[in-house]
Amino acid sequence: MRILIVEDDETLAGQIAGNLKDAGYTYDIAYDGEEGHFLGDTEPYDAVILDLGLPVMDGASILKKWRADDRQMPVLILTARDSWTDKVEGLDAGADDYLAKPFIVEELLARLRALIRRSAGQTSPVLEVGPVRLDTRNSKVMVDGAAVKLTAQEFKLLSYLMHHDGKVISRTELTEHIYDQDFDKDSNTIEVFVNRIRKKLDVPVIHTVRGLGYRMEWGEEHA
Amino acid sequence: MSDTADSKGSVSKKTSDSPGAFARFRASLTGRLIVSAVVWSSLALIIGGVVLSFAFRSYVLTDVDERLELLLDTLVGISEVSPNGEFRFNQPLADQRFMTPYSGWYWQVSEASMEPVRSRSLWDFALYSEHEQRRFALRYSIADGPDGQTVRLAEHDIILPEAERVFHYQVATNMAEVQAAIDRFNWLLFSALALILATVTLALVLQVSYGLRPLRRIRRDLVDVRSGRSARLMSSKDGQLPDDLKPLVDEINGLIDQNDKLLQRARTHVGNLAHALKTPLSVIQNEVDGRDDDGAQLIGRQAKSIRVHIDHHLKRARIAGGGSGPGLPVAARIGKLVNAVQVIAGDKAIETKVTCADGISFDGEKEDFDEIIGNILENAAKWARSKVELDVVRLEQGLRRPMLEIRIEDDGDGVPEEEREALFDRGKRLDEHVPGTGLGLAIVRDIADMYGGNVDLSTATLGGLAVTIMLPAK
Repeated sequence: MRILIVEDDETLAGQIAGNLKDAGYTYDIAYDGEEGHFLGDTEPYDAVILDLGLPVMDGASILKKWRADDRQMPVLILTARDSWTDKVEGLDAGADDYLAKPFIVEELLARLRALIRRSAGQTSPVLEVGPVRLDTRNSKVMVDGAAVKLTAQEFKLLSYLMHHDGKVISRTELTEHIYDQDFDKDSNTIEVFVNRIRKKLDVPVIHTVRGLGYRMEWGEEHA
Repeated sequence: MSDTADSKGSVSKKTSDSPGAFARFRASLTGRLIVSAVVWSSLALIIGGVVLSFAFRSYVLTDVDERLELLLDTLVGISEVSPNGEFRFNQPLADQRFMTPYSGWYWQVSEASMEPVRSRSLWDFALYSEHEQRRFALRYSIADGPDGQTVRLAEHDIILPEAERVFHYQVATNMAEVQAAIDRFNWLLFSALALILATVTLALVLQVSYGLRPLRRIRRDLVDVRSGRSARLMSSKDGQLPDDLKPLVDEINGLIDQNDKLLQRARTHVGNLAHALKTPLSVIQNEVDGRDDDGAQLIGRQAKSIRVHIDHHLKRARIAGGGSGPGLPVAARIGKLVNAVQVIAGDKAIETKVTCADGISFDGEKEDFDEIIGNILENAAKWARSKVELDVVRLEQGLRRPMLEIRIEDDGDGVPEEEREALFDRGKRLDEHVPGTGLGLAIVRDIADMYGGNVDLSTATLGGLAVTIMLPAK
């Protein structure tokens, strides 16, 4: 899961980033509105944490521009302005959730998880594909009740696949969503990660769709 | 709102029975104009009356004096001294008035050594005559007459040609008739003047009250401004104001605008300060979150306390209060708020049923309405199992102004009656496990108070808490 943080306070942005990293997310940070708008416009993010009071271009304008350009990723607004009128205006601008400062990062993460889940069409915080369970709340993966230990990159990959279970995900898409923008993207490493995950899970849930990518689904390979 | 408007409305003058009423009336603009005008016009009327009365009196006296002089001349004309030295008239003075005793007309001719010759009308009375000092000129005076009468007396010392003797001629007439005429005239004069004064005073009162009407209009407008029914003095707009008062009204409006601007600026500054503090506060809270050394915990507690203070004052500074704008269409706004609350409630599925007729408007600021409805809806969503109901009704009958009754219910566990009032206390929460600063209902009540509305808690038909808010309608 790749998140865009648009926040001009570097310390706060750093804290959020640190927590996102610990929770198994990939992130990019933009410190002003223009850069934030550009990144959100060009990179595929699974969610955006958007501060409203930003230099160069304010958060609400960025959001309106994105929505006008049909950029539909879930956006969580972060703002010191917490009156109900501000909330209504933020949500009117196209935000999907709203968090008022000061906040605890844990609350932000909980909201972010729910946001990503809902936008992927998942209703429960625990994602299940056959015997594989991924608890988004604590980033734990279990197969038939037994915990499976995954590296950060492996977890990111599996989490993305499980959020979009049943759909064919290309290697490029996977690369885009588990690496930040500075990473030297090489889709071959994806194959390596997928093989490792398959080995660790030891159940047939990740299928290769030749020439297209991967699909998460419980059951033996068909077609 | 009505309470404060009345208690502070010192401009209203329903003062006739209170002790310093007259003093206050005299100090008022109306009082000054009326009292000063009445004083100078009564002064003018009194002086005029006195002059007129004096003129009339001297006219009447002159008339009497002329008649006395004529009589005296006649008396002298018919007087002679007989060869034996006896005073007599050479023809009778055939006037009945001198025959009838105490008739009011008298004559007397006297000599120093002689018993005076008198008219019959004097009867047994003799007019006082002075013989020591001779005055050979006509003199008038007021003297005592017969029968207790006061008389106008004309006297002259004459030397008759036949004899080298000085005769003292006196002619008198009763003053009572003259005085009665003067009194009658004075009475008529002063009652006429009093009537004129009364009429003038009445005219003055009318004139002052008509003249000061624009000022009362301004006063009413000011009351409207303070009670929030209008934003500025409306009298400047409708052209009914005299030109000499326009600058005053324009100045007052300018003052109101400036006041608004200052308030707006102060509010913005408070907001900016509070908001600027929130980001560093987030950083501090996140830095100490999850650390359990004493220092970190202390900082965490202090940061939390700072946050509570900021929230408290920020929310209060934000209350705008006062209506008179175009009014806020309620139905559309509630839709947006319900949507916002649902987003913020996250995964919890709440079915919110809104009953609100189109065309209902709130007479006040959007921010205040949002704060009231948002807070209560959020509370309801927090405590509800699955359902929230919101009803808006416009009430008009029997009220001083139309009101909105907004009722928000949830199907949660509700709050026992004895604990409800505590919900309004600042920072109090009945259930410490559900997050929230607890300021929600307190701020809701503050805002409602500002609008002259109120907030009531009761048991919902759905089972949970019902919050009923009364707010002014447009």
